[in-house]
Amino acid sequence: MFLENYIETVDISSKLQAITYRQDKVFSVLKPAAKDKELTFLIGRIASFKDKTAFSELFKLVGPRIKGYLMKLGSSDVAAEDILQEVMLTVWRKSETFDRSKAAVSTWLFTIARNKRIDMLRKEIRPQLDPLDPMLSPNQEAAADDIYGSNQEAIKISKAIEQLPTDQAVLIKMTYYEDKSHSIIADELKMPLGTVKSRIRLASTRLRKLLEGKIYD
Amino acid sequence: MIKHHLHEEILMSYAAGNCSPSVSLIVASHITICSKCRNAVSIYEDIGGKVLNEASPVDVNTNTLDILLDKIDTDVSKKNTLAVNKIFKNIPVVLHKMLPEGNSLTDSWKKGLGGIKYFDINLADSNKNSHARMLSIPPGKKLPNHGHEAQELTLVLEGGFSDESGHYNAGDVAIEDENNIHTPIADSNEGCVCLVVYEGSLKFKGLFGPVLNLLKI
Repeated sequence: MFLENYIETVDISSKLQAITYRQDKVFSVLKPAAKDKELTFLIGRIASFKDKTAFSELFKLVGPRIKGYLMKLGSSDVAAEDILQEVMLTVWRKSETFDRSKAAVSTWLFTIARNKRIDMLRKEIRPQLDPLDPMLSPNQEAAADDIYGSNQEAIKISKAIEQLPTDQAVLIKMTYYEDKSHSIIADELKMPLGTVKSRIRLASTRLRKLLEGKIYD
Repeated sequence: MIKHHLHEEILMSYAAGNCSPSVSLIVASHITICSKCRNAVSIYEDIGGKVLNEASPVDVNTNTLDILLDKIDTDVSKKNTLAVNKIFKNIPVVLHKMLPEGNSLTDSWKKGLGGIKYFDINLADSNKNSHARMLSIPPGKKLPNHGHEAQELTLVLEGGFSDESGHYNAGDVAIEDENNIHTPIADSNEGCVCLVVYEGSLKFKGLFGPVLNLLKI
């Protein structure tokens, strides 16, 4: 299984990454996520040349993972396919809005998938920041990329979450892996809403610091 | 200079995509003006990207790529443009889209007591208990002191106001939790235009409380 999914051309660091995956027994699929650089290149080809070969290649690299993500959050196979199509159409249409200096490819894909999920599943209006708004205040602080520095690719979010105290880790997982609102979390855990909010506040602040490399356990 | 920011757990739930439409509206509006909270949101979106990256891939249907290639063949790519023709300079685009047109901001808003004008934003919220309301309060006007059934978030857009917890300028967010009772007073020179989102109803105290509760203003 491990070798089956293995790509011959990956470098030694992703080899090590794959081994770590196996040892953790956390991940059922051992193939490391496609490299950001490769994905950035493909998105650039789509933006500049409307390159369909690049689009097909990108789809093969990210499609199954986006579908897996959607299903993990509770979408059926059929719904996940529908949302995936919408996500990929948005990637095609908005490829020129992707800005490597502002976000990683995975972050960009995540925001598109998040928005399409909400559009299709909840039929609600979900107001979003308009990146072209002339009112947009200039960035005074370092962009997320600079904060993480070159470590960004290497940090495994599942590991960072495991470093949180258990009660906090549970809340972060419910937020990101189960897509639950604060009030639903409060209902399910039979905790007062205010307690849920203040615990998530602690957890999110700590998680940010972990990711920014300010806490070493 | 923005002094009062949104709480971390609110920014995280916006990034994860599981806050209500009205909270989403106030977050999107605030982060247009506030680069500090915008950076925090981008970090929480990076976490989403990492969760996506670590999801196990699921095979996509064999014909999905062909369907997509057909669709992009006939896709007319739209130019990336600003969603509204901006008239009101202090209103973020995301909020602007939700407001009625007019020569001045409050032209077609409803008239409340004591010169207060308001406009209720319809967000097709599945949670009927969640509200988004624009308020324009005349200079020096004191709002009746009131409590809240649940959290109330207020984003100042023009002018400012003060209450028991401090002074709020344009860009600032005031967060009132349940059990808090406050008496906001609009600045004496400019008054205050703000976006208020809240769940449940407001509970007015004092002499006119019962009347105001009936009027729901």
